[in-house]
Amino acid sequence: MILLVEDDDDDVFLMEFAMSKISDKPPMLRVSNGQEALDYLKGLDKYADRTVYPLPEIIFLDLKLPFVHGFEVLKWIKSQPALQDIHVTVITGSLEDVDREVALRLGANAFHSKPPETEFLRRVFTSMRDKSK
Amino acid sequence: MKTAAACKTNEDPFESLTNRYNAIIESSDDAIISKNLDGIIQSWNPAAQRIFGYAPEEAIGKPILMLMPPERENEEAAILERIRNGERIQHYETVRRRKNGSLVDISLSVSPLKDATGTVVGASKIARDITENVRIRKQLEQARSELDANTAELERRIKERTSSLNEAILQMQEFSYTVSHDLRSPVRAIKGYATAVLDMYLGRLDEKGIEHLNSIIRCSLRMEKLIRDVLTYSRINAAKSESVETNVEKVISETLLNYDEFKPSKLNVALQRPLLPVMANETFLIQSLANLLSNAVKFVAPGTAPKVEIWTERRGDRIRIFVKDNGIGIKKEHQGRIFGLFERAHQDKSYEGTGVGLAIARKSVEKMAGTIGIESDGINGCAFWIELASPTG
Repeated sequence: MILLVEDDDDDVFLMEFAMSKISDKPPMLRVSNGQEALDYLKGLDKYADRTVYPLPEIIFLDLKLPFVHGFEVLKWIKSQPALQDIHVTVITGSLEDVDREVALRLGANAFHSKPPETEFLRRVFTSMRDKSK
Repeated sequence: MKTAAACKTNEDPFESLTNRYNAIIESSDDAIISKNLDGIIQSWNPAAQRIFGYAPEEAIGKPILMLMPPERENEEAAILERIRNGERIQHYETVRRRKNGSLVDISLSVSPLKDATGTVVGASKIARDITENVRIRKQLEQARSELDANTAELERRIKERTSSLNEAILQMQEFSYTVSHDLRSPVRAIKGYATAVLDMYLGRLDEKGIEHLNSIIRCSLRMEKLIRDVLTYSRINAAKSESVETNVEKVISETLLNYDEFKPSKLNVALQRPLLPVMANETFLIQSLANLLSNAVKFVAPGTAPKVEIWTERRGDRIRIFVKDNGIGIKKEHQGRIFGLFERAHQDKSYEGTGVGLAIARKSVEKMAGTIGIESDGINGCAFWIELASPTG
């Protein structure tokens, strides 16, 4: 499944719209800020119930997030041995080259500018499926 | 009165060497005083009277100590000691006291006086009044320390201003980054929702509905470009720029490759070789050329294939790069304004343009210490030019 970390509701719509064209897409859950993302992945509070809140195979991570910045979340994820196999794509409204460089250096598996494109998402899902086989 | 050349020995005005020496001492501007080894004054010339105030009868037979200010009394013992050893003292700067109690700065030279057997029997002191020298020296020191203080103050202010300036630039950068990011966000949403409606409700929309939705999308694209251009423009000031010798043809090739809108099928570029090298920053030169070429592509009469000619001309120690297009031209009355931000020479909606492109071109050129301009009759295209320093001078 996919964990979407995104604070802007309109950008959530654009992600869902892009995904709507893909027939066999994984289910997606959304958290609204960096702190919630960390809580989810750590299994804190309500997120402890992994039947309702499973660990994702794919994370779509926005950068400009309230409470904890996307880069901090990314750094944390990549420091956790249990989470190494998760495919993290940074999806951001930033046009800055430096953001792309930092994201890749911190270990992001991919980087994409908003809005997400259907073709790009399709490729991500296909490659994940191939990996798990 | 006979001149020195006409003097023969038997007509010597002084008649003897002794007289001559006396005259020299009497006429000297410097105080010439002699004393014995007990420090008692033996002789006193007129200059000594002038400088120290004592008449010869008030000085001769008196201890030379009377000339010492209280804090310098031990100098005399030190001087006598060296004299006894046959040493001389040269240009020693010190202070003495006049008859009226006032102090005078002097430069002192003291030599041992020897009798016929070579025994040191006393000292000859020559004292030059250096009050004026000392005064000038003090003035110089004061001027120097004022200068140093001023320089330090100036440097402090420059540091302050530079740091304020850097602070302002940094704030501007952060501001423009934040503003552009926050402005782009809703624009992306507008474009996204319009696209989604078009996609999801296509079958249920009439022609007008579809047209309006397309207009929303078109306007939001324009807004996105505008925001990007304004961000680029605001960034140019803060960017560092160093000019190096640059191969113009290489930069043009680079520019044509970087942008899809300049590929051969969309824009015909003819180079008149050789293209002279210029002092430039590659990034800024590409940016300014790209904006000129972009104009060339956009502002053609409908149905015309855009074509551009590029050549260079030497103007003294500067080189002008010309970019001439076959477009609709810009009238003379508009030419003054077109490099300004958000200025457009053509309000006609059929010609896209955000009004920022030429402003970006101008700022980039200015960053390279260059100038930009245009020649156009308003009908037969524009010949834009960028003038930069020549590497060969």
